[in-house]
Amino acid sequence: MSTLRLVWIVLTKELRDGIRDRRSILSVLIVAALMPSLFGGMFTVMASRSKNAEEIKLPVAGVENAPAFVDWLKQQPGVEIVGAPADPEKAVRDRKEDVVLIIEKDFSRNMVRAVAAPVKLLSDSTRESARQKVNRARTLVTTYSSQLAALRLIARGLAPSVALPVRVEEVEVSSAQERLATQLNILTLLLVIAAVTGGMQIAIDTTAGERERGSLEPLLLNPVPRIALAAGKWLAASVFGCSAVVFSMLLTVNVLRRVPWQDMGIRFRVSDGDLMSLLGLVLPLALFLSAVVMFASTFARSFKEAQGYMGMLILLPLFPGVISMLYPLSNRPWLAPIPVFGQYALAADVLGGKPPVATIYVLAGVSALTCALVLVALTSRLLEREAIIFGR
Amino acid sequence: MIEIRGLRKKFGAVEAVRDVSFGAGDGTVVGLLGPNGAGKTTTLRMLSGLMRPDVGTIRVDNVDVVVDPIGVQTHMGLLPDSRGLYPRLTPIEHIEYFGRLHGLGGPALTARTRALVTRLDLNEIADRRVSGFSQGERTKVALARALVHQPRNVILDEPTNGLDVMSTRAMRELIHGLRRDGCCVLFSSHIMQEVSALCDRIVVIAQGKVTADGTPDELRSLTGRDNLEDAFVTLSGLEENS
Repeated sequence: MSTLRLVWIVLTKELRDGIRDRRSILSVLIVAALMPSLFGGMFTVMASRSKNAEEIKLPVAGVENAPAFVDWLKQQPGVEIVGAPADPEKAVRDRKEDVVLIIEKDFSRNMVRAVAAPVKLLSDSTRESARQKVNRARTLVTTYSSQLAALRLIARGLAPSVALPVRVEEVEVSSAQERLATQLNILTLLLVIAAVTGGMQIAIDTTAGERERGSLEPLLLNPVPRIALAAGKWLAASVFGCSAVVFSMLLTVNVLRRVPWQDMGIRFRVSDGDLMSLLGLVLPLALFLSAVVMFASTFARSFKEAQGYMGMLILLPLFPGVISMLYPLSNRPWLAPIPVFGQYALAADVLGGKPPVATIYVLAGVSALTCALVLVALTSRLLEREAIIFGR
Repeated sequence: MIEIRGLRKKFGAVEAVRDVSFGAGDGTVVGLLGPNGAGKTTTLRMLSGLMRPDVGTIRVDNVDVVVDPIGVQTHMGLLPDSRGLYPRLTPIEHIEYFGRLHGLGGPALTARTRALVTRLDLNEIADRRVSGFSQGERTKVALARALVHQPRNVILDEPTNGLDVMSTRAMRELIHGLRRDGCCVLFSSHIMQEVSALCDRIVVIAQGKVTADGTPDELRSLTGRDNLEDAFVTLSGLEENS
């Protein structure tokens, strides 16, 4: 009987067995559903904060000390001036207010004498959520100050540029799409998590679980080459891994499309073609990761022991993902043949609107598949070992 | 037909099997009798091809197990020491899985599965998942899947372990049936009565060595004991210890 036919028999049996394991399937689905919702929520909060910074309510104490300044503030777009609480410092410390502007008594007097007029900006720098609002308030004050400075110079017959020896002109070289991509790397990370966790249960169950139950020895008594057993089990885990990836992608994209990106000044535009490219990248990776999990769990005598290994193993795909969020891996096509790293790098390019050429995808896919096959072959060698077959 | 010559196997410093040689012909039932830890299971594991002997040869139907394990497994049905089942599959699915791995399929496999289910009295539980099965029921399922390909050589490691009276009887019936069909049956046990009731020949094994090999009558006359149990105790070298 051909080896392929045997692989098919093992694969269908493991799939049937795996699908009946409702509890693990449910846990995979919950993880796959929870993560996108979490990040969707996170992005929505970020978006609403930038929106808050655009339209701020600024509590000002001592309005009567600088009517002209307050009038100017009121004219700025998206700024609403409200009365300050009785004890501004306490209010900020108690987190009742994000920021309070205090105009000191001497403001008008100093202004007239051309001495620096004092204002206080109260804020709490440990509060991440208030940061954008505080920045906006600070910018408002410095803008007023420099406008006034320019007017004073003109009044004295000097060009405002005299007081500005150096002018900074910021040039942004990344496209809006690329800036979005750094946020969207999270999508790749979620897909990779799905690729690992999706096949994990079944990969453990068909190796460490098989040893723990004592069903490995009877299975090996059948006239079947070990490679057919390893391949069938690997493919079964891969089917689960790939399904989890597709499920996670559909869910994540639907969640991300609902995030109000325009509030962050970003247009969310990920085409179906991009998504297909991502799948083309991550699905071979799912085959590789399933092989890694299967190989590692074959060493474990029990399900529990294998799960202990998984705690460490899951860091393998997560580590480059976290790295890629800190140090973008985009524009590094030479990473393609390195599984996991390559996928993160290429995915960043796809999401950045600079999709790599087709051969690079093929290279990444072939490389991941080759590594997977090597691991499957190694697993089949493990199944020859007496310590693995009989060690319980 | 099974021929074992000069078998040895060491695990680290422990010599589990030191010198085991015996044969079992077609149409006979041979009992491998020995106390716990005598080396029975290790011997059977080497016979199955999953464990390599350090020294010695094992030939089944004139095929060397070490050279061609798959060739041997094709014609061998083995109920091993570990009878692990898949908790989410039914007995029928267990039997069919192993049948397919042996290259069976279609109506032939269905018929064979049905026949085994009936013969082992599994009809009532044939379509239930095995997770809540009793020890006896589990053994029957393990036995059924080991016999699905109608092997000429049947090896059973302590087949009546954990079985109740009725199931033990059924197992005996099955072994007799296999002999009638011309199979070579080898089973291990540490229970004297069982061996004497079933076997054409008994191989006594103790501390990794074959200490006696013959018909029940031969063993009795060899030791000068009328009672087979006494003969077994003598041959196992258990007397000196007690």
